[in-house]
Parts: sequence; structure tokens; C-alpha cells
Amino acid sequence: MASEQPFFDFAPIWQAKSLLIEGFGIAMFSAIAGIFFAILLGLVVAMMRLSRYRVLRAIAFIYTQLFRGVPLYVLVLWIYFGLVFAVGIDIPRIPSGIIALALLNSGYLSETFRSGILAVDKGQREAGEALGLRPWQVNRFIVLPQAGRIVVPPTGNQFVDAIKDSAILSIIGVPELMKIAQEQANMYYRPFEFYTVAGLLYLVAVILVSKGISRLERRLARFSREKIEASSDADKTVSEVGG
Amino acid sequence: MDGYQYNWDVVWQSLPELRQGLIITLQVSIVGMALAVVFGLLCAIGRLSQYGYLRKISIVIIDFSRSIPLFVLLFWVYYGLSLKFSINLTAFQAGAIALGITGGAYMAEVFRGGINAVDFGQREAALAIGLTQAKAFNLVVFPQAIRIIIPQAVNVYVGLLKGATIVSVIGVADMIYVAQYVSLNSFTPFEMYSAVGVAFIALTVSIAGLAYLLEMRLNRGRSRG
Repeated sequence: MASEQPFFDFAPIWQAKSLLIEGFGIAMFSAIAGIFFAILLGLVVAMMRLSRYRVLRAIAFIYTQLFRGVPLYVLVLWIYFGLVFAVGIDIPRIPSGIIALALLNSGYLSETFRSGILAVDKGQREAGEALGLRPWQVNRFIVLPQAGRIVVPPTGNQFVDAIKDSAILSIIGVPELMKIAQEQANMYYRPFEFYTVAGLLYLVAVILVSKGISRLERRLARFSREKIEASSDADKTVSEVGG
Repeated sequence: MDGYQYNWDVVWQSLPELRQGLIITLQVSIVGMALAVVFGLLCAIGRLSQYGYLRKISIVIIDFSRSIPLFVLLFWVYYGLSLKFSINLTAFQAGAIALGITGGAYMAEVFRGGINAVDFGQREAALAIGLTQAKAFNLVVFPQAIRIIIPQAVNVYVGLLKGATIVSVIGVADMIYVAQYVSLNSFTPFEMYSAVGVAFIALTVSIAGLAYLLEMRLNRGRSRG
């Protein structure tokens, strides 16, 4: 029936390219904003989980279980449709999507940050305290910078997940890449072409970000190895001098 | 804002439908997981192959399947592929295939990690005592690898279970679909989505707990041997 039409027709993609690029921009913006707030929230929750107060620890624990267990799809629907009815807070589409991405990812990131903080040698904290630094100063200048290096790769992976997850925001009408692809696919009746191109765009974004992260990871690893070598050299000198 | 009347009765009344929806979600995710195991195993074998081109192809396939959002894959399979090539897939089948592709990429890495984690000396020892390649893998390497693989496979499954919620977008009558349908009629999206969210959290937390217990058990065997 479609004999007069070409089997593959990528011309409509070219016609819709500015819309697709705009959608791609919104998708990336949502993912970046979502991860940004997720890092802030995750840090707070990680600190709460490591707090000496049991109540804070319990709240933080429930928080992580909650947002690691709930599917993004349900969370998005709950925020965008549920909250309006129940609490009367009418949050626009894009902020709703960003809030959902932030909450979901903060659950995962808080666990990452917690293990990153715990991975910093205890002696570092003790040394900081021995120097007379206040607890917040120990965290700010000694523990968190070292933990930061450890958590870069898993945080990057979380960002990659957020880019992929941002496609789900199309269900509440956020005009991101997937939503645009759906609209255009229906308009030109070319779903195969549009979803292929959308998939490839996500693929490119994900691969570029992953490459960037592994490069950053290598840089940080080199940095820390040099430091370890330097310190072991110093130890050697000390022991030689001592001997 | 005028006081909102919470109507939790709607949730209780629609419990049978929700339960039916949950069963469908579980079915999609289990079929998807089965496909993911097969697909993942093939990719892992390719990645660990001695032929360079097979390794390269497998890496490309894994990267592709892992980098494309599940949501896009779902639409690509259901609207793209099936229309273009006139394969009449049901929404359920398309959902399971999309889950299988995404999950397969993760499973490939899980299989590879598990197999690589087994000390190379084990394989050498098995070959040295005269086992064939296949027997060395089946009797020596794989039983040790499976201990590492199973807990991680459960984590992949939890991910697929959560991912499976999006199949309602293409009209599979899963739990979300029921929640949407009911809340459209009764104007209770907050209650319905809260209920669905709680159900999922309970489900994923208990599966994760089971995975933890399983890991403990498997490790007990390991320390003995």
C-alpha cells in the first residue's frame, strides 16, 4: 500500500531538526539540573546517615530506601498529577520532571557519598581534629575533598542514568527529545525513523559523557597514585635517615 | 486551597484490579529478564571470545543496548520495528523485548565480571588434570562464577521490574495503567499513585533483602570450600 513511498525516509528528520535539537537541549538540561540537585540532596542525606543522632540516621535510611525503590515513572506521575490534587501545589512540567530526577538520583547518590566518606582513612579525620579544626572544617577541608575523588566515577554513572531516564519525562508532556520524537513520528507517520534518530542522539550523549568521566577518572587516579608514591618515598627517606 | 478530601477507599476498592496489574508487571519483567539472561550470556560469550572481531561486535552491541533509554527502545520496538517490518507484536511482547535488550547489556557485564572474577589458576588446574575446555568451564569455572553472578543478577532484575512500569505507556494493563484508569474516573491520582509507589517500594526492598540473604548463603559455601 505504501509502494509509492520510500521504505526508509529520513527527510522528515531533517525538516524537524531544529525541534529535535531543542528537545535534546531540554533533555540535557533536565538531566543536568536533576543531577545537580540530587548531588546537593544526596550530600545532606549522606551526612544524616553518618550522623551521631539515631533519628537523623533513621530518616536518612528511610529516604534512601524510598527513592531507590520507587520507579521514576510512578514518582513523576505522583509529583505532577498526585500533588496537585492532594496538596494543591501546581508544579509546572519541567520543574516536576527535575524534582523527580533529583529525588530518585539523590537516593542512589547518598549511598555513594556515604561509602565515599567512609572510604577516607579515619586517621585523616583524627589528624584534622588533632590540629584543632572544627568538625565542619574537618569535613569541608579534609574528608570531603578526598571522598570527592572516590565518588566521581559512580556520580558520573548516575548522570548517565539521569540522561537516559529523562526520556520518561515525556509522559507528563515535558517537551524533551522523546516527546518531540513522538509528536513528529505521529505527524509524518515515520515512527521507525524518528525513534531511531532519538535513540542515536541519546546514545551519542551517553557515550560522550561516559568518555568524559573515564578521562576524569584516569586523571584523578594518576593524581592519587603520584601522591601515594610521593608519600612512600618520603617514608623511605625518613626510615633511611632513622636507620 | 480548599481542604482536599482524601479518599483511600478507592485504593481498597480497586485492589483486585491493582493486583491483576501487578501480576502483569511481574510477568513482563520476568519474561524480559529471561530474554536478558539469554541475550546477556550471548554477549558475554562474545566479549570473552578469543576472536577479536567477535569481541568488538559484542562491545558495540552492549554499548548500544545500554546507552539507549528503555523508553526509547520500547517505542522503537513497538511502533518503529513492528510497523516498519510488519511484525505484529503485542504491547506485552514489545515490552518484554525492550526490557530484554536493556537488561541483556547489564547481564552481559554481570556474566563477564563473574567469570573474570574466578581465579585463572582454577581453569588452568582443570585443564591440567585433563578436563576438556567445556568441562573445565561447566564444572570448575561456572559454579564459582555463579556465586558472584546471582546477587548481581537480582539487582538487574530489580532494575527491570522498575523499568517494566513504563509498559503502561503502550497500553499494557499493568499496575500503573490501572492506577491511571481509576484515578481518571475518581479524581484520586494522589491516592492511587501513592499506593502503587508503596507497593513497588515494598516489592523492591524485599527482593533486595532476599538478594542479600542469598549472597550471605552463597558466600558461606565459599568460605568453607
